[in-house]
Amino acid sequence: MSTETNRPEVLVIDDEVQIRRLLRMTLEEAGYAVREADTGKAGLEEVLRRTPDAIILDLGLPGEPGLEVLKRLREWNPVPVLILSVFGQEGSKIAGLDAGADDYLTKPFGGAELLARLRALLRRIKPAVATNLFHFGQVEVDLGRRRVTKAGQTLKLTSMEYALLQLFITHRDKVLTHRQILGELWGPKAETQTHYLRTYMLRLRRKLEDDLDAPRYFQTESGIGYRFLSETPVHV
Amino acid sequence: MGIPGREYWRARPNAWAREFSEVMCAVFGVAVMGWFVPVSYHFFGYIYLLMVIALSLRVGRWPVLFAAGLSAVTWNFVFMPPRLAFEMPDVDDSLMLGCFCFAALIGGQLTARIRERERDERQREQRSAAFLHLTRALAATRTLDEAVEAALRQADELFAARTAVWLVDESGALVAHPASSFSPDTNELKTATAALHDGLRWGRNTEELGTGRSLHLPLTRAGHALGTFAVRWPGELGQLSSKQRDLIDGFAEQIALFVEREQLRMSAEREKLLLESDRLHRTLLDSVSHELKTPLAVLRSATEKLGTIDEQKRLTLTGEINQATRRLDHLVANLLHQTRLESGGLTPLVDWCDARDLIEVARRATGEALVSRSVKVEIPQDVPLFLADAVLMEHVLVNLLLNAARYTPAGSPIRLTAGWSVDQARIYLAVSDCGSGIAPELMPQLFQKFRRGTSAPAGGLGLGLSIVRGFMQAQGGEVVAGTSREGGACFTVSLPHVAHGSVPNDEH
Repeated sequence: MSTETNRPEVLVIDDEVQIRRLLRMTLEEAGYAVREADTGKAGLEEVLRRTPDAIILDLGLPGEPGLEVLKRLREWNPVPVLILSVFGQEGSKIAGLDAGADDYLTKPFGGAELLARLRALLRRIKPAVATNLFHFGQVEVDLGRRRVTKAGQTLKLTSMEYALLQLFITHRDKVLTHRQILGELWGPKAETQTHYLRTYMLRLRRKLEDDLDAPRYFQTESGIGYRFLSETPVHV
Repeated sequence: MGIPGREYWRARPNAWAREFSEVMCAVFGVAVMGWFVPVSYHFFGYIYLLMVIALSLRVGRWPVLFAAGLSAVTWNFVFMPPRLAFEMPDVDDSLMLGCFCFAALIGGQLTARIRERERDERQREQRSAAFLHLTRALAATRTLDEAVEAALRQADELFAARTAVWLVDESGALVAHPASSFSPDTNELKTATAALHDGLRWGRNTEELGTGRSLHLPLTRAGHALGTFAVRWPGELGQLSSKQRDLIDGFAEQIALFVEREQLRMSAEREKLLLESDRLHRTLLDSVSHELKTPLAVLRSATEKLGTIDEQKRLTLTGEINQATRRLDHLVANLLHQTRLESGGLTPLVDWCDARDLIEVARRATGEALVSRSVKVEIPQDVPLFLADAVLMEHVLVNLLLNAARYTPAGSPIRLTAGWSVDQARIYLAVSDCGSGIAPELMPQLFQKFRRGTSAPAGGLGLGLSIVRGFMQAQGGEVVAGTSREGGACFTVSLPHVAHGSVPNDEH
C-alpha cells in the first residue's frame, strides 16, 4: 500500500523466489515500495489493479514468456519496464527493448547497478530537464539556445550531431537501441544503417569526450546500442 | 602418348595372318626370281633351305613348318626338271626335302621358344609398369575419393573404356562413386550386385544386354566385399584374352587394396577420436567440478561466517564472495560459449562495428581484473568500420584481456591495438602483453580446448582461446598468436574488411 508516503512503487515479476526476495530487500532499503508476482498473468493482473511506478520483468518466465507479457502490457500501459535477462540472450534483449522495455539488466547483476537503472527509469516521468542548461564533465549544453561548450570553448556541432546529443540527453542513463536512434534521427527506413550511427557516434565522441580511447559519457552496449551516462558511471 | 600398359592391353594375336603371308611372299618370290636364273635346280634347293632357316628367325613355329612344306612343293614343281610338273624326287633330292623339314622343325622350335620368352618378358614389364603407374598415382592421393578418382581415370585410359566403382556403404547397399565415368542402368546395377553378392569372378553381362560391352567384378579383400568395379567399352569387345582379364583383375585388386586400407585407417581414426573424446569428457568432468566447487565452497563458508564476525572482517568476506561469484559467472559463460560453438548453434549477427566501441566494452566487461594494469590503447584515426558480431567480439577481447592479465606478472602493462593490414584487406585487433611470451612447444595446441599453459595459475578450464578461435572463425575471421614488441605474447584477431555504404553528411 502506498498510503503511508509517496514512496515509488515497483512491481517485480519473476518466478524465482530467491531473486524476488533479494530484489525486495535491495529495493525496500533504497526506499521503494515493492509488489511481487510470480507469473506473467499474475503480473498483468497486478498492473490492472493498480499501475506501479516501474516494473522489473524477467524475460525467462515459465508459461507465458516475458516478451509476450511485455507486448500485452504495452498495448495499454506505458509504465517504465526494466527487463532482466540471462547471459547469452542478446536477441531477446533487443526484442524486449524494441517491444517497449525501457532498459535491461543481465543476470547476475549488482544492487547498485539495478538502483541506478531504476532511478534513470523513474526520472523519465518527471520533467525531462528542469533547466535549459545541462552539464556533464567539462561540457555544457544550452538546450534553449542550442549551444554546446566544452571547457568554456564553443563547439561546432552539425545539426545531426546536435540532434543525436539531444536525444541522448532526453534519454540519459537509459539504453537506446540502434534501431531507436536511427529511426529517430534518419527515419524508419534507416533503422538498419548501423554505419551511420557508428560514424556519428565517433564524431560526437571526438568532440565531447575527454579520452576517445576510454569514453566516459557515451557508452557502448555491445550489439544493442548506446547509453549516455550523465552521472559518474556505476562500476559493475 | 599413353600410359604404361597400353601396349599390353592392346597387343592382340593377329600376327598369324601376317606371318603366313610373309612366308608365301618369300617362297613365291624366290620361285619367280629363280625362273630367270640359269643355274642348276640344286642351287635353288639350297636357297630354299637358307630361306626356311631365315624365316624361322622371323615367324612362329607353324608358319615355318608351312614355309618348309611350301618350299618343298614349289621347288619340286618349279625347279626340278621337268619344270612345271611334279616328279618323284630321287634319293639326293629326297634328302634335300628331308633337310627342309628338319631345319624348319629345329629353327621353328628354337625361335618360338625365344620369342615366347621375350614376349613374356615384355608383357611382364608392361604389366608391372601399368601397376607401378597405378600405385604411384594412388600413393599420391590423400583421401579415398581422390584415390578412386585417380584409379578410375587411369583405368579409363588404359582400357580405352568408361569405368565405374561402386562402394558398399554402412547399410550394405552399393553406392556409385561420383568419380565413375558412366552411370549404370538397372541391368548393370543388377549385374554389379550379383558380382558382389555371389562373389562371381566375372560378372560379364553379355547375356542380359546382348552385347559384350561391360564387365563387373567384385572388390573383395579377405572374403570381405567392399564394392564392385565395372568397365564399359564403347563398342563390341569380343572375347577378352586371359592377359586382359589378368590386367583388369589386377586393377580391381589394387583398388580393393586401397579401399580396404583407407577404411581401416578411417576406423582407426574414429577409434582415436572416441578415445580422445572420452579423455576430454573425463578432463571436463574433473575440471568443471573443481572449477565450480571452489567458488561455491568459498561462497558457503564466507556466508556462514558473515553472521558471526566483526565489521572489518565482513568487508574482506564480501570481497571474497564477490570474487567467487565473478569467477563462477565467467566459468559458466565460457562453458555456454563452448557448448554453443560445438552444437553449431552459433549464428553471428554481423553489423558495422567500430574498433573503439569493441575495445571500450571489453575493457569495461573485464571489471576488476585489469584495475591494477596500465592498459594502453593504440587506434589510428583512419581505422574504418568493419563487419563483425559485436557481442562475439566483446567475448573474444575479454578472453584475450583476461588471459593477458592472468599469465603476466601483476602490474605489467597490456597494450590494445587496432589497425588496417598493409594491403587494407583486413582489420585487426591485437592484445599484447609484457609477460614471458608463449613457449614454442605450446604453440601447436594453443587454441585447443582444455589445454592450459604449463605456467597457468590455478583456476580456469582452458577454454578461453578455443572460444576465441571458434568465435573468430564463425565470423569468417581468424586469430594468430605471436610475440609482442616487448617480448611478451601477442594475440591478433583479424576480419576481412569491406567498405560500408555512404553516410549522409551534414557537415558544412
